[in-house]
Amino acid sequence: MGNSFITRRGALLTGAATIAAPFVMPSSAFSQSGPVKVAGLVSLTGGGSPFGPNSKLAHQAVVDEVNAAGGVLGRKVEYLAEDDATNPEAGVRAARKLIDVDKTAAIMSVWASAVGNAVLPLCWENKVMMLAIAAADTIAELPHQGYFVRTQPHTALQGEQFAAFAIRNKSQHFYLMMPQTPFTETVFKGIRALCEPKGIKISSVIYDAKKTSFRSEVDEMMRAAPDTVMMGGYQPDDIVLAKDLFRASYKGKVIGFAYGVTPQFIDGAGKDAAENIYSIEPVPAGGSTAYARLKALVKKDALDTYICQAYDHVNLALLAMAKGGEASGTAIRDNIRKIANNDAAMKVDNAVDGLKAIAAGKEIKYAGASGPCKFSDIGNIIEVTFRVNQIKDGKIVEGVQA
Amino acid sequence: MIEKIIQLSLNGLMAGAVLAVPAIGLTMIYAVLRFVNFSVAAHMAVGAYAGYMLNTWLRLSAWLSVAGAFVAAGVAGIATDHVALRPLRGYSALTIAIASIALNLMIESALRFTFGGGPRDYAIPLRRDWTFGFLHVGPQQVENAAIATIAMTILFAFLMLTITGKAMRAVADNPMLADSKGIDPDRMARLAVGIGMGLAGIGGMLVGLDTSVDPLVGFRAILSVFAAAVVGGLGSVPGAVIGGLAIGLSEELSLLALPATYKSAIGFLAILVVLTLRPRGLLGAKAA
Amino acid sequence: MTNYLIAMATFASIYAILALSLNVMWGMAGMVNLGIVGFYAFGAYISALLTVNAHAPIALGFLAAMLGTAAIAALVTLGIMRLRDDYLAIVTLGFAEVVRIIAENEIWLTRGTDGISGIPQPLKHVLGSDFNLAYLVFCLVIVALTLFVLERVRTSPFGRVLRAIREDAQVAAFAGKDVLKFKVKAFAIGGALAGLAGALYAHYTSYIVPEIYVPLLTIYIFLSLTAGGIGNNFGAVIGAFVVVFCLESTRFLIGVIPWLSAEQLAALREFLVGLGLLLVLYFRPRGLMPEPLPKLVGPSRGARSPD
Repeated sequence: MGNSFITRRGALLTGAATIAAPFVMPSSAFSQSGPVKVAGLVSLTGGGSPFGPNSKLAHQAVVDEVNAAGGVLGRKVEYLAEDDATNPEAGVRAARKLIDVDKTAAIMSVWASAVGNAVLPLCWENKVMMLAIAAADTIAELPHQGYFVRTQPHTALQGEQFAAFAIRNKSQHFYLMMPQTPFTETVFKGIRALCEPKGIKISSVIYDAKKTSFRSEVDEMMRAAPDTVMMGGYQPDDIVLAKDLFRASYKGKVIGFAYGVTPQFIDGAGKDAAENIYSIEPVPAGGSTAYARLKALVKKDALDTYICQAYDHVNLALLAMAKGGEASGTAIRDNIRKIANNDAAMKVDNAVDGLKAIAAGKEIKYAGASGPCKFSDIGNIIEVTFRVNQIKDGKIVEGVQA
Repeated sequence: MIEKIIQLSLNGLMAGAVLAVPAIGLTMIYAVLRFVNFSVAAHMAVGAYAGYMLNTWLRLSAWLSVAGAFVAAGVAGIATDHVALRPLRGYSALTIAIASIALNLMIESALRFTFGGGPRDYAIPLRRDWTFGFLHVGPQQVENAAIATIAMTILFAFLMLTITGKAMRAVADNPMLADSKGIDPDRMARLAVGIGMGLAGIGGMLVGLDTSVDPLVGFRAILSVFAAAVVGGLGSVPGAVIGGLAIGLSEELSLLALPATYKSAIGFLAILVVLTLRPRGLLGAKAA
Repeated sequence: MTNYLIAMATFASIYAILALSLNVMWGMAGMVNLGIVGFYAFGAYISALLTVNAHAPIALGFLAAMLGTAAIAALVTLGIMRLRDDYLAIVTLGFAEVVRIIAENEIWLTRGTDGISGIPQPLKHVLGSDFNLAYLVFCLVIVALTLFVLERVRTSPFGRVLRAIREDAQVAAFAGKDVLKFKVKAFAIGGALAGLAGALYAHYTSYIVPEIYVPLLTIYIFLSLTAGGIGNNFGAVIGAFVVVFCLESTRFLIGVIPWLSAEQLAALREFLVGLGLLLVLYFRPRGLMPEPLPKLVGPSRGARSPD
């Protein structure tokens, strides 16, 4: 992930920043009183809106639990949430408010990569920790000095899954259709690199996600007559594209990202248009105790990876602060791997138990609901598995063999 | 390649027919009231949402809902003109045009406030395209073109054959003379706005039927609508029809060379070219 | 909270410069420019690309933004200068939209809808957390300088000719003035200012994206100018500050009116902007010109009866 120059530079910057930090940090970071502040920058409107409310729910539920058990570092935890509207401009303005006005130590669960890309510089400039879902590779490669981790496998990994699907299914012509995002080019390149040596023809198009009809793009695609189409958008444009594919009577396979191919996608596109569409999804740690706990906490039977990640974000943030003895973004940055990467330590699956263990001086390893929660130097998640889902008869069937 | 051109031309003519409807609305209002009413965009959205409510809540058919869209947008047009723009009559065309921009923003925000910004779909079944050899065409596209044509025919009949229609044409041609003949300019103004915005409403709903409805459904089309009206000659109704078809065709044929996202740029280019070389457009009267 | 106020004042200053730019093009030279947002974007992108891609010094970015936007403005003038007011409105509106479409689509150049992040902020490392305040002072100084220069222009012979052209271009031409040259110059000055505002924004927020440059922004600027008094440079500045502070204060309404969603509040804010512009148009009976424009129209078209 990235070449060695970048990781070395990242390490150098991180090292320098860590040494310099105590001398240049604004004094407010040392305040020993007042509530501990964490914030969610979630998508309540726009393409990420299927997931934002759940993130907020998970964050709030954990914060409530922690406060009932005495808070963090003896202080109450205050949770704030702002809507990024799944667009970078609104996200930046909301982040400014959270950072400048509310003085949050962490910005959690940014979902869209474009928002992550735009907000991360604000975070590292102000020594606020970003714990994100956003998956574009480029985000982790920014000089964030360590103020970034994410629990979602970065898009190069996801792109590999699409390539593997095409290869498994002996595709001859794989047509990639994606909106413009920070990871579009990376995904295209990655798929080409894996598929073209195997003799699979790859065509690609970047469409304007704000359009309400993709008739022209679909026309162009039909003329190329591919056997597999990759529908790489978010939910709103996936809906439009799926309908236009149906209208054009496209008969081949269609595969997308699970974050676009959701139950609401089925509602929006209609059963007919959604039938047989595949999707790739990172597998939440379904068997883990954290997963079961979260189900009970938010009272839901089934959890998608995003609500699991949001749950993990708030747990990680609070535990890292406790470990560092300070309610600041820098403390989270410096201590998050100490409580997440340490396989040998005692496993905890929630903040309350973890806080107690830390207070008693014990080492912990946080084992999350979304996955193993181990982070590389630049903040990417290590060790991830995926599954393929398919829509059958109006319902998403998870983990099909395809 | 020739097949592609024929397919694009077909798409363009159908799109152009739909485009012509709000263009006629814009041009009519210009003909009688002598200013460019930018709030046509918002009234397209009003029509689309009115049709949406009739279609999904009251379960009216698409065609009936279109009629409803016409009425709703027309009434809204008369109301907003009376409240917002009438007080400025007598000021320069530019002043009123800017006021209409402010009005446009207000209406679109009100729609967004009420319905949210997300897309809404009509309660019509998703249908596969019809194919004829290498050509394929969406049933909804055909229906839209048909509705547009019928609406325009009715309008022409009104303008040519009825007394009120002729009176309106008289006001458009020569307001002083019409006034001296006893035609009430106020009434004609209201009528022009009502019908003009009603047509915009139909246009908005037609666009929505083929795609989806959101507060910006009119705004996205507005450059093309202006282009159609300007190319045909601001103030000329037959001009708007020709302009609509011309712009529709140009936009689709531009796909041969440009990515689809540049479609609105075509409209802009057309406006620029026409206004520089022949400001009165194809069928317009010499600029006053 | 102070940080927030400082940020708002900074945005207000940037909008003030935009309002001044509009005042030069419209209030002084008589050409309405509904596409001012396009010039704003142009300046921002020029500076951002130079400083991010070519690692040019920020001062160079600013300079290039002003010169580049002035050049494009001059070019645009050639295309539009003979157009009537309302045609001009349509064309300039279209221009801004096309600029935005190009910014969104030419990904190789502008990074499209991802935007350009990490735009360098001047002296950020030196100033640290004092950056925001320092930048505000910087912007205010620029506003003051611009005001000074524009007032001199307005009262200069050049300014007088512009006013004459604005009133009646034919008479001015008859008097031997090269109307084209003057209009181009005026538009270029206005363009340079808009480009400057664009660069100021880019180097402040360190992130630009095509979505920022929407007609709504143009309406903000129009509101600032008309509220403050068109043709009046000081009015433009005051108007901008009033508009920004009014708008931003509505953001805090969300605490007071909890039953409205964030989206509804945004819609309400936009509604109020439109209403504001409309009201300003009513209650400034002199219309949109600093002096009443003796437009020669026949008997009033359309409605004849008083309201």
